Amino acid sequence: MNDVAIRAAQRADLDTRTADGLAQRLVAKYGDRVAGYFHLPSTPANYAAFPDELSDATRAALRLRGIEQLYRHQRDAFDAVRAGKNVVVVTPTASGKSLCYHLPVIEAVRASHAKSLYLFPTKALAQDQVADLLELNKAGELGVRCFTFDGDTPADARQAIRVHGDIVVSNPDMLHHAILPHHTKWAQFFENLRYIVIDELHTYRGVFGSHLANVLRRLKRICAFYNSSPQFILCSATIGNPQEHAEAIIGETVHAITESGAPRGERHVMLWNPPVINPDLGMRASARSQTSRIARHAIRAKLKTIVFAQSRLMVEVLTKYLKDVFDHDPHNRERIRAYRGGYLPTERRQTERALRAGEIDGVVSTSALELGVDVGSLDVAILNGYPGSIAATWQRLGRAGRRQRPSLGILVATSQALDQYIVRHPEFFEHASPETARIAPDQLLILLDHIRCAAFELPFSSGEFFGMHRVDDFLDVLAESGVLHREENRWDWIADSYPAQAVSLRSVADGNFVVVDRTDGRQQIIAEVDYSSAALTLYEGAIYMVQSTPYQVETLDWEGRKAFVTRTTVDYFTDSIDFTNLKVLETFDGAKAGQGVCHHGEVHVVRRVSGYKKIRFYSHENIGYGPVKLPDQELQTSAVWWRLDQATLERTFASRQDALDGFLGAAYVLHTAAAVAVMADARDLRKAVGSGDAAHFASQDQNGRGQWRDGDGNLADPRNEKTFTPTVYLYDNYPGGIGQSEPLFARAPRLVENALALIESCDCRFGCPGCVGPVLAYDESEERSAKAKAHAVLSLLA
Amino acid sequence: MSGLKDRLATLRRQAGIAPPPLMPTQDVRSKLARLLGTRDRSSRRTLDAPVGHAIAPGVYATEQAWASDVFDDIRLPWIDETFARERLVCFDTETTGLSGGVGTKAFMIGWATWRGGQIVARQLYLTAMSGEDAMLREFAASLPNDPVFVSYNGKSYDAPLLKCRYRINRQQHPFDGPLHIDLLHPVRRRYRGVWENCKLKTIERELLGIVRHDDLPGAEAPAAWRDFLQGRSSRNLGRVADHNRQDVLTLTRLLDRLRQVDSC
Repeated sequence: MNDVAIRAAQRADLDTRTADGLAQRLVAKYGDRVAGYFHLPSTPANYAAFPDELSDATRAALRLRGIEQLYRHQRDAFDAVRAGKNVVVVTPTASGKSLCYHLPVIEAVRASHAKSLYLFPTKALAQDQVADLLELNKAGELGVRCFTFDGDTPADARQAIRVHGDIVVSNPDMLHHAILPHHTKWAQFFENLRYIVIDELHTYRGVFGSHLANVLRRLKRICAFYNSSPQFILCSATIGNPQEHAEAIIGETVHAITESGAPRGERHVMLWNPPVINPDLGMRASARSQTSRIARHAIRAKLKTIVFAQSRLMVEVLTKYLKDVFDHDPHNRERIRAYRGGYLPTERRQTERALRAGEIDGVVSTSALELGVDVGSLDVAILNGYPGSIAATWQRLGRAGRRQRPSLGILVATSQALDQYIVRHPEFFEHASPETARIAPDQLLILLDHIRCAAFELPFSSGEFFGMHRVDDFLDVLAESGVLHREENRWDWIADSYPAQAVSLRSVADGNFVVVDRTDGRQQIIAEVDYSSAALTLYEGAIYMVQSTPYQVETLDWEGRKAFVTRTTVDYFTDSIDFTNLKVLETFDGAKAGQGVCHHGEVHVVRRVSGYKKIRFYSHENIGYGPVKLPDQELQTSAVWWRLDQATLERTFASRQDALDGFLGAAYVLHTAAAVAVMADARDLRKAVGSGDAAHFASQDQNGRGQWRDGDGNLADPRNEKTFTPTVYLYDNYPGGIGQSEPLFARAPRLVENALALIESCDCRFGCPGCVGPVLAYDESEERSAKAKAHAVLSLLA
Repeated sequence: MSGLKDRLATLRRQAGIAPPPLMPTQDVRSKLARLLGTRDRSSRRTLDAPVGHAIAPGVYATEQAWASDVFDDIRLPWIDETFARERLVCFDTETTGLSGGVGTKAFMIGWATWRGGQIVARQLYLTAMSGEDAMLREFAASLPNDPVFVSYNGKSYDAPLLKCRYRINRQQHPFDGPLHIDLLHPVRRRYRGVWENCKLKTIERELLGIVRHDDLPGAEAPAAWRDFLQGRSSRNLGRVADHNRQDVLTLTRLLDRLRQVDSC
């Protein structure tokens, strides 16, 4: 664009200061990129009268806050709680869900001094909710004493909170490592505990959810000791199985309320596919460039904008691109901020405050802002890439337009298969029911961790149950490690340790790495990185970015869990290259799959980061490589896999190389189909192609062609191997597995069908990132394309 | 069983959790037993309690008395009240560790009282976990009428810990009503910066001229008790008892020494 055109465009942006104005303008200008456009009209409210038993004082407080009647779901929740049921309320953001629990809780405090515990996944959310409740309390002079109890609570306030708090607002981590292990100090609280409120239930999936389910088992064990049996009130954003999930989390039956009575503002939602720049290769412009373009339009139009990126790295890259446009003059007010995990809490709180106050115009975030953190009113939400689930997509789009103003949400697809599937099937996106949340509370390691913590809290008796398990075997293991002492049928904690300290709810492993800035002789911690991503982001030579400032990793102390970095001014970022090798340890079940077989079972996975690429900012050209020497990451987990016998392969394919390419393509598309089917977080489910005995595994060269490697990672020629039975694996990316492989096995035939349909419906000729993966070199014949080979493999498995 | 154990060990290693360090108290014999793959029978042995006599299943008691030349009522410069000497209970506990939380237990309670011209030092200790309930009951029952507790840092350590144990055993704890005089605070006010620190051991040496022989450092008490409980050795538990008794006797003398200090 020349200067005149740019100025004209900027003027046009200034004329579109509403979200629907911007939507119209984007459609007019980039109509061919808008793959789907939904207009969700506003919906009216469905009200219900205050329940008869609501006390006069509470009614008065509500009226003072301008509330004359309830939304239908608030009333239903109140009635169900009063009827003694555990309740889960599933309604969208900003539908007044907190009153669903505040009302019964307030009434119980005033009637019988009953106590309640509120749990939020993060400290920030807890603080928001207390502010809410305090306003109601103050308005009506209700006299309810509500306190947050978290890591920031001063020691001298803690005793008062334990004794005087009617409502204690905390998070699962505090409950796990500060409250339960000191339950005697909370004796009065537990004796009178009536309600446990768990908000943002949908966030407790996978590992975190599995931990929470066990923390609640411990909590109930403590409550039983103090002769109380509290009722649960849970709230969730939209998920496919709220009742089932709530029941799995608390281990009791739950009544679900799923109809919202709250009104909703008008919403515009767009699916955006970057333009094709090479039709044969199915190559499209990057999502990153499109996201940053749309964000520029929105911010210039004075619309408060949030951009969601999939990784911390992408947050930094996008922040840099937007700051280069809007924050290039250091004398002006900062307009763009980054927000992600790994930043220090003070910095995050400051960004939240600035957002609420409307002091910044754009924020680039990871999923960290997907939750209900109050960031005020935003107009536009742009998602750089499909978040991996329908539920998370709506949750993020919902960050715009909370306060009944028109809003615009745009999902910008990357070239990843899952993204392309979504934008090419807008009707699927529109009608897809949100995914189900899954947990595996009986995952062995997690279970052992919590039985250890529970044994610290109260002695166990032989034959006692913890969740569904008799504890005896676990107690034996713990006794052998010296932490428990057995006398007759009773097991007592005797070690001098505090087991909750060593158990992090956010991952199976504990062992976060800290990033230490040593620029100019400093020694300052600037970020934290969890164990599982340390090898991928903190290798020596890596560029690690914080608020888009690049730091280079100079030394990585693997044992000490520290990475030492210094400020740098390079014009590139780094991306790791890793290999996966896999071995089957035990097969649980098997079935015929077409002419092949499908199994699920336990596998041993070795993952090695072998090097990294240097990628220049803006042009994204690859400008160099570096080696990485780190210990292999080993993982024992569960997997589902498909295999064809050698004879069938040799009948079907001209060469072993072709069969190998076919398997790699099939793995890519099966992974997509599986992720759509069980709605797994893409990070939680991984794919691999190998021989299954760890003798060989497949990787791809830079052109997307398959390579056969031996167990040490050396290239091998598939023609020279005596046996050649490549196998596609989909595995859980957690030690011990997190329960995804069994449902995948159960629907294996459907997965293969869906994968075939995905290839057949793709418009590309030879294969593209939207179906069988990126293909660079290809045979100029459709019979021998990656797409055709993957189709052949899948046809044999169907 | 070993299947589950091996599996857990493997998973833990992969999860980035370091293998647990070998228990430092393990003796050579059990190490060898492990190396040779034989079962460590020594841990099944029940040892004789090193001192005292059984008063209930799992609980032993000791009692020793010394003539005392002080028996007057006591008035402390920083407390506006006079106490009959028979009400004073100078006490100290030995615990299974310093990690905090409800998993930490007191395995020994020692206390000294004045009775008919004597200082009587009593101790209760556990020889089995199951004795805790009886030990706590006995301690509460042995207290004089309207007791005044005297301790060194006991207000923030020993008393809360015992309260926790009473609660877990569903018993009333004796700490809420009575006065509790923690000598750490007046000592700090008066002697901070005078000696290298305000630990009881330093204060008793510098202020009272008490020198201990063959004293087992307090930090080794938890291991000593576990060694006994799991049948490895009872030797150090005997030394813990000596250490604990000296602590409470030091308290009785420190109390009278602090009466004479002006500016506490």
